[in-house]
Amino acid sequence: MANDRNSFVFRLLLTLFVILVINFFLPRMMPGDPFSTTSADEVGEEIIVMTEEQRLYYMNYYGLDRPLHEQFLVYMKNLMTGDLGRSIYYKMPVSDVIILHLPWTMLIVLGSTVISTIFGVFLGTLSAKNRKKGSDRIMMTGMIAFAEIPSFLLGLILLLFFSAYLRLFPLAGAITSFADYSGPAEHTWDILYHAFLPIVTLSLSQLTGVYLLTRNTLITVTTKDYIRTARAKGLGEKTVWTRHALRNALLPVVTRAGFMIGIMMGGVVLVESVFSYPGIGMILRCAVVGRDYPLIQGILLVIAVSILICNLLVDKIYSKLDPRVAI
Amino acid sequence: MSLLKVNNLKCHYQTDISTVKAVDGISFEIEEGEILGIVGESGSGKTTVALGIMGLLPENTAITGDIFYREQVISSLPESKMDRFRWKDIAIVFQNGLEVLNPVMKVGVQVTEPMRKHLDISPDKARSKCADLFRTVNLDPKWMDSYPHQLSGGMRQRVLLAMALSCDPKVLILDEVTSALDAFTRKEIRDLLVELQKKNGYTMLMISHDITFVSSVASRVFVMYSGRVVETGPVKDILVSPRHPYTRGLVHSTPDIFVYKDLWGIPGDFPAGDEFKGCPFSPRCTQKIEKCKEAPPDLIPIAGGRNIACHRGGVAGLLEAKNLSYRYRLPDRKYLKAVDNVDLEVGEGEVLAIVGQTGSGKSTLAHILANVMRPESGEVMFMDENVSKCNYGNRLNGVQIVFQDPFSSTSNRFTVLDAIKEPLDINKIGSKEDRLQMVKNALELVHLPGTGNFLSKYCGELSGGQRQRVALARAMVMQPKLLIADEITSALDVSTSANVLRLLKGLQNRRGFAMIYISHDLSMTLKIADRIAVMNHGKIVETGNSHDVMLSPSDEYTKRLVDSRIPV
Ligand code: SF4
Repeated sequence: MANDRNSFVFRLLLTLFVILVINFFLPRMMPGDPFSTTSADEVGEEIIVMTEEQRLYYMNYYGLDRPLHEQFLVYMKNLMTGDLGRSIYYKMPVSDVIILHLPWTMLIVLGSTVISTIFGVFLGTLSAKNRKKGSDRIMMTGMIAFAEIPSFLLGLILLLFFSAYLRLFPLAGAITSFADYSGPAEHTWDILYHAFLPIVTLSLSQLTGVYLLTRNTLITVTTKDYIRTARAKGLGEKTVWTRHALRNALLPVVTRAGFMIGIMMGGVVLVESVFSYPGIGMILRCAVVGRDYPLIQGILLVIAVSILICNLLVDKIYSKLDPRVAI
Repeated sequence: MSLLKVNNLKCHYQTDISTVKAVDGISFEIEEGEILGIVGESGSGKTTVALGIMGLLPENTAITGDIFYREQVISSLPESKMDRFRWKDIAIVFQNGLEVLNPVMKVGVQVTEPMRKHLDISPDKARSKCADLFRTVNLDPKWMDSYPHQLSGGMRQRVLLAMALSCDPKVLILDEVTSALDAFTRKEIRDLLVELQKKNGYTMLMISHDITFVSSVASRVFVMYSGRVVETGPVKDILVSPRHPYTRGLVHSTPDIFVYKDLWGIPGDFPAGDEFKGCPFSPRCTQKIEKCKEAPPDLIPIAGGRNIACHRGGVAGLLEAKNLSYRYRLPDRKYLKAVDNVDLEVGEGEVLAIVGQTGSGKSTLAHILANVMRPESGEVMFMDENVSKCNYGNRLNGVQIVFQDPFSSTSNRFTVLDAIKEPLDINKIGSKEDRLQMVKNALELVHLPGTGNFLSKYCGELSGGQRQRVALARAMVMQPKLLIADEITSALDVSTSANVLRLLKGLQNRRGFAMIYISHDLSMTLKIADRIAVMNHGKIVETGNSHDVMLSPSDEYTKRLVDSRIPV
């Protein structure tokens, strides 16, 4: 047992190290550097073209002119003390930038996970109950076709229709700028109002996966002997479905939800960009454009760590839910 | 009025390509407090009957017929109404499998679940009742909080039993409850069931492939084959004298009943295809007639509260001997009664052993039965006709005898071909080519080469074992319905005789002929015989199932014979 634990910790550390190495070298392999950017992302943004002198000065200031391995060592040393470095673009500590934006991402990722799981399970159950009937076939075909639409395109359509055309929802941002809230209720409402479309977009893109998984697992589960046993006990269809079938079918769904949170943390970049939603996805894009090495490293690290944490949590939860898995 | 009544139940599984008649018209009634057994191989439809009663058959099953519980039809009830009967009135103990219990639910919860639903009791009360039930089935209540995978097979079976008893059902259906268990646990569960039944008077429907298990608990049994009932009756009678060829095969291939016999299954398989019209057992039956291919037999009552479904009324008699007597005249002008007023019957496909010491008259009897000698009085009937009048020894599908001494039946001067062909030649059966082919077939049956080289060998050149095989081939070439083997192994050494015996039994099993096996060696006969007749001083002193004769001999002489076996 202790041995297991040790090897587990070791593997975790190794994974982290590999991630750190990649995080460090990958951004630096892109052409250009933070101070020779000539492209502006948004129209109207000021383009500052530096002189070669200025560029060298800044390179020296951020230590970017030193050999790579030295830079890496410094980076590692700072990491040990919890220092993620300073963002070149935002001119503040990377950790502050992340702390500022991470909650928004968490909000839409967790929100959409919960929503897509609830609806997916519901629809999947409906479909499984009606299997061999027309409604199941129609639903399944529809869902699969729907899943073919890429999430950013879906987001774009929603944005154009609901925000630009109907003007029901805001076009950008996570809160109304310079708002003066009369109370926490109004504050919450404003947040939800802004998060609504991003969450819907992410949920819809997850829905089919949850739906199919629920449906197919349920169909397998309902052929199991214990379902027959439950029926024989005269418990009634409802109890048979909820307590016996669904309870077993949810095991893989929970696992999936856990993994999806991690994966969405990475995939959220495009959706956040579409909605100009100020989560870490959007600032990651800015950081890449601006070659803001420390910020890129920081965000990638956060994403990687959250994926690791999610996987760990999934293992823990699964062993709670399924008694057959001994911890 | 019976508690549970099933009337002409048919369950046909319908898939896109075919229909499987899992249950094809079965009817029975169970009285209150009675234990009825249903026995059959896997695939015979017995589990389908259980699921049919519980209303648990899959949607693609076409079900006809009625099921009554206390005069109420329960076979056509909607699910919600049926739920009121399930478990509370009729509960089922499923076969123990890993997934029969919900893997993510504690077993205690699974046992209390139906109580909460049907009995309207508080959670605490249900839990304490669950603990009681666990104790009833000899399981420590501490296991209530464990999950199914933490229990052994036997413990799971007990949980399943406790679960079935939880709502005090009137009818208990037990589906293969012991099949996945080891012998020891099996016995425990059996004893538990018997005890429970005695105490609470459950009405039980016990379904199993294991005829010994069923017969140790049930009072009446139904034997199912391929979705139909082939025989019913009181347990004892069915075990002692099975009447249907299938039941006989089942009983005779059960190691618990035939302790000493080598295990020979019933050859063949279920009829394939749903278009099959005839008796489902006909592909495996050794006594089928034309009619068996055309229509399935109905289940009709015979004496003794039994029913049988067979166009020939069950295992048909093949040979019947009445009042046979034969005396030898001794030099001192006295007579020796070699065969003294012997009555004997052999059924189709049956192996009867006649056992006795040298001089007990068994060989003389064999000669008379084979129509080699004429009895002084009495007659031998073969297929209801007199053996000697109809000359059954000289016809195909008749009676053939193989003698103790292969040298007398196969002359040294004959080639193998001539020796085997002789009966065909004498009786003018078939053309020249036919005869050669028949000889070759017969040789193949006895595992001898049918090549020209071997055919032209002289019998004198063969070893004892080979020669006995040639003698056997000479009998087989006439395709007998009854083969009499008179001490055929006594002239051979041990290993050769074991081989010949094995060959003989294999032949018998595959070809389905009846056999009278005459021997002085009790141990050998036990390995192959269904029934034993013990002979002493020309009289048959005891007949019975070979295990009965062996385990509980009633005649003094038999006892001595049994005791004289050299213990191993
Ligand atoms: S004799 Fe005919 S009806 Fe009887 S068991 Fe054999 S095949 Fe079936």
